[in-house]
Amino acid sequence: MRKIFPAEELARDSRFIRQSNEQRMGDPRGARIAGGNAGDALAKLTPGLPNGPDRARALMHGIFVGEIQALEGAGRTCWDFELGDEAPLALKLDMARQCWDEARHCEISVVLAEHMGTELGEYAENALLYEAACNPDPVLRLTGVNRALEGLAIDVFNTMKEFGNMAGDPVLEFCEDWMLADEVTHVKMGSDWLRRLTENDKDRLDKALEFQKVVDRLFSFNGFRGEEDDSPIQLTRRFRELAGFTDEEIDEIADMSRDARSEAIT
Amino acid sequence: MVQVSVKPESFEMVLYDAAVIGEVVAEVAERLGVDEAITLNIDETSPLGRSKILSYDPIDLWVDGGALENTQRPRNFGQARSRDTIGRLLLRILDRRSGRFDDAPADDELDLSQFAAWDVHNVGRLERIGLGGQKKRRLYQFRNRHGFTDTADAAFEELWGSSELSWAEIERISVGCRP
Repeated sequence: MRKIFPAEELARDSRFIRQSNEQRMGDPRGARIAGGNAGDALAKLTPGLPNGPDRARALMHGIFVGEIQALEGAGRTCWDFELGDEAPLALKLDMARQCWDEARHCEISVVLAEHMGTELGEYAENALLYEAACNPDPVLRLTGVNRALEGLAIDVFNTMKEFGNMAGDPVLEFCEDWMLADEVTHVKMGSDWLRRLTENDKDRLDKALEFQKVVDRLFSFNGFRGEEDDSPIQLTRRFRELAGFTDEEIDEIADMSRDARSEAIT
Repeated sequence: MVQVSVKPESFEMVLYDAAVIGEVVAEVAERLGVDEAITLNIDETSPLGRSKILSYDPIDLWVDGGALENTQRPRNFGQARSRDTIGRLLLRILDRRSGRFDDAPADDELDLSQFAAWDVHNVGRLERIGLGGQKKRRLYQFRNRHGFTDTADAAFEELWGSSELSWAEIERISVGCRP
């Protein structure tokens, strides 16, 4: 079986339609994200928005395809690297455990889609998450996926959990809460492995953190994920702390979002 | 064939064809028994899904470009979504003209629960003539406005399955199941 499997060849049935990053970012109306659009006026995702339920449906579908890709990415990390210094057995075991979590999340997401009236494949799929999981360096891969993208997942799941709470929807609230707990663990794994594998390699650590910033920046346009009251997705400090982020690292993500917001306004 | 005027006539930001849109609007109008001229204004800059009636007579409609979009293929026209959007607007016009909705608030005075309830009644009727569907999507929206309860679900079924309710009946069903 080959190493580093390309995103274009991921197996999908006819229900799924792929949208490339170029298509998504090149949409003249603003890139789609979090069930809304980067060109929209900012508004926190709540049931009180006229389009709140539909945005939640679209976001949930994005979570669903993200879970599929996270499963595929963690599975590849188990296989793509030779056992030893490059990828210790404990790292592969963590990735195997993550596969189990992501598979469960896929099943939960399918049930939630049904609950919210969404058909699988109803929205376009973007493969950015899996693409980040194709980095040939396991440290960069874990940093980009587990810390940047799974970190984003913490913010998204918490926002969706609050959405369910406000709507009085116990199914959504509990499912998101349970998945959120797993995501905190996944981010913690990324934080721990980043530090362990770069303990004596400052250059590699810097490269990994830079890669994380690149991925974080891709999801910060227009300030959609931040700490402002009207940020559609709220940056979740407490859970990020539990996942091994330092205050400085969280501040940096918040600043990135504020900068992106300012750029969008000017 | 119903005369449909689509504005703008050409699009820069989305891959829509005004002639195709006009055909879909005319098809929906004919299925609903509307035989008068219709103007459809489209804001192609917006991917949101908002829609409203600018004028009941003559019929003048306004939609976000996203209300006509294929969600699987962003920027592309979606026939099913367009039938749903236009069908709901035209049924609201027919309802208000029927005399059964004389006591309904103006569109801009309807709250989210009232809109959700009326939309359920509209989409249920559209589905029965083959023009729409997504019953579970409507149920989720209805639950968000009326509660995730068995009472709300029963109210939804009554709105969805009824043929021609009056505004007073829709309002009674909607108010009766809110938390």
